[in-house]
This record gives sequence, C-alpha cells and structure tokens, in this order.
Amino acid sequence: MDLIIGGAYQGKLACAKKRYGLAEGDIYTCTEAEGIRFGARCINRIEEFTLWCVRNEKDALTIFRDNREAWQNSVLLCQDIFCGVVPMGADMRAWREMTGRLAAYLADEADSVTRMFCGLETRLK
Amino acid sequence: MTVLISGGSKNGKTAFSESVAMRLSGNGRRYYVATMIPYDEEDRRRVALHIEERAGKGFETLEIGRDIASALKKGGPDAVYLVDSVTALLLNEMFPDFSNPDADPRAAARCREGLLALAKGAAHTVFVSDYIYSDAARYDAFTENYRRDLASIDRALAEAADTVIELSAGIPIFHKGGLPE
Repeated sequence: MDLIIGGAYQGKLACAKKRYGLAEGDIYTCTEAEGIRFGARCINRIEEFTLWCVRNEKDALTIFRDNREAWQNSVLLCQDIFCGVVPMGADMRAWREMTGRLAAYLADEADSVTRMFCGLETRLK
Repeated sequence: MTVLISGGSKNGKTAFSESVAMRLSGNGRRYYVATMIPYDEEDRRRVALHIEERAGKGFETLEIGRDIASALKKGGPDAVYLVDSVTALLLNEMFPDFSNPDADPRAAARCREGLLALAKGAAHTVFVSDYIYSDAARYDAFTENYRRDLASIDRALAEAADTVIELSAGIPIFHKGGLPE
C-alpha cells in the first residue's frame, strides 16, 4: 500500500494518476454520505470516510484493521487536516482526531508515504 | 529566476522573501509589490509595520492590488519584484468592485496569467503565498472556492518556478530548486 497525504488541492490525485497510470475506473472516492468501499486500485478522500464514521458512530481504524487484506495493494489518498486550531465543533474535533489516528496507522503500514505541497512531492517514507 | 515561497501564517515569509529578493538583485533595483489594499486601522497598522521593517533594505514599494503584470510597466524588466502576497491579490481580483458582493469567477485565471506574465517578463520574481489547506473545517462555498483557486495559482506558480520553498518557523524547506550563494 502506498499513502499520499497533503493539504486540500495540493495535487494528491494528480500525483497518483501519473505515478500509477490510473484510469478513472481505478479510482474510488469516499463520501461523507456513503463511507468507503474497499477493493479499488486507488481510494481517494479517506477523510470523507472518516467524516462518515464520525456521523455514523463508527471507528475508522477498526474498519481498516478488519479489512486489512482488502487495501494492501491500493493507493490511499488522505487530506492533511491537522494544522489548524482545535476545531470549535465536537464533530470536527472527533473527525480530526479519527483521521489523524488513521493516517498514522496507514503511514506505519505503508510501503511508501508521499506528501504533496503545491503539486510537488516529497517522499516521507 | 522565479521563486515561490509559501507556508503557514506569521512564519517569517515576508522577511525571508526580502532576503531572497536582496540576494537576487545584488546592486540592482528591487521592488516590493504590496498587493494588500488596506481597508481599516488594523490593515494600516500592519502596512506601517511592514514599511518600518523594510526600511534600509533598498526596496522601492509599488502598491498594486490588481492587474499584477502592470508592475512591469512601472519598474521595467531589469529588476527584482517581490510580490507579497498572491493571497491578497486573488481576493482583490475576486472583487474588482467592492460594491458588488459577487465574486468574479474569472479572477483566478486573471491572477494566474498576470503573475506568470510578470515572472516571464522580469529578471527575477519572488512570490509569497499562504498555505491555508490543512485545517479541519467545512467551509462555505465562497471560502472553499477561494482555497481551491488560490491552490490552483500556487500550483501553476510552483510549476513555472525555478525554486519552491515552504517556510517553517522561518526555516526554508526546499521542494524544488535552490538559491544562489
């Protein structure tokens, strides 16, 4: 598994498409309404899945651990939402914490971790 | 050369960018292109502080809130232009007429083209932007569009730039290229 992180609009998906030669059909995009489906070559917007978890009282880390085999060969894209002030709203705080814990777990599991900044990549692992 | 400098707020981007512009210009002309249009007392105090901090560094100040490429007409090609900041420029371009609250959808494209034209026409350019992309919040459509548009300009500048620097606590992290000795 390869993990690409970075702030909003920094070029995570463009990097994944180029590096892995992905077609649109290879990409699954998580949503706040539907959560996640494993199995795609590339899973985009993991942070939308964690928001779904918060809204539906699920634990993102448990779901990823329980489905560990399913994403071993995927490219996972997650937005870095960790640099602002502690959010005022309880759900945004829970969202940030759950996403952070998941990102740390995924970074640990990943074969490679890339951070995007203004469309430029830095290999962190 | 073209240099893009970004990073979090209050990180020393302006002071660092000034030192880069001074290094690039040597004894040549250097312009500090101030893009923020001050609206209230707080803005005016910040401007005064920046002017004070710039004193003795040999910059001539150009106040250009829109149509950034027009800086070239004022300063000519043989100069260094430090544009501080892309963030404020985009905001001004979005609202060409402040009595109209609707953001101009062509603002980002106009900004991008103007900045790239300046980069191409001037001996050296140093662009300062703001990294506003890593907080946990759901924004209204206006703010989200602003973030998306600023990022699209940042990325276009990063692609065109020789050097891209992220500043952290005043310390440069080089994402692309380097700086002359």
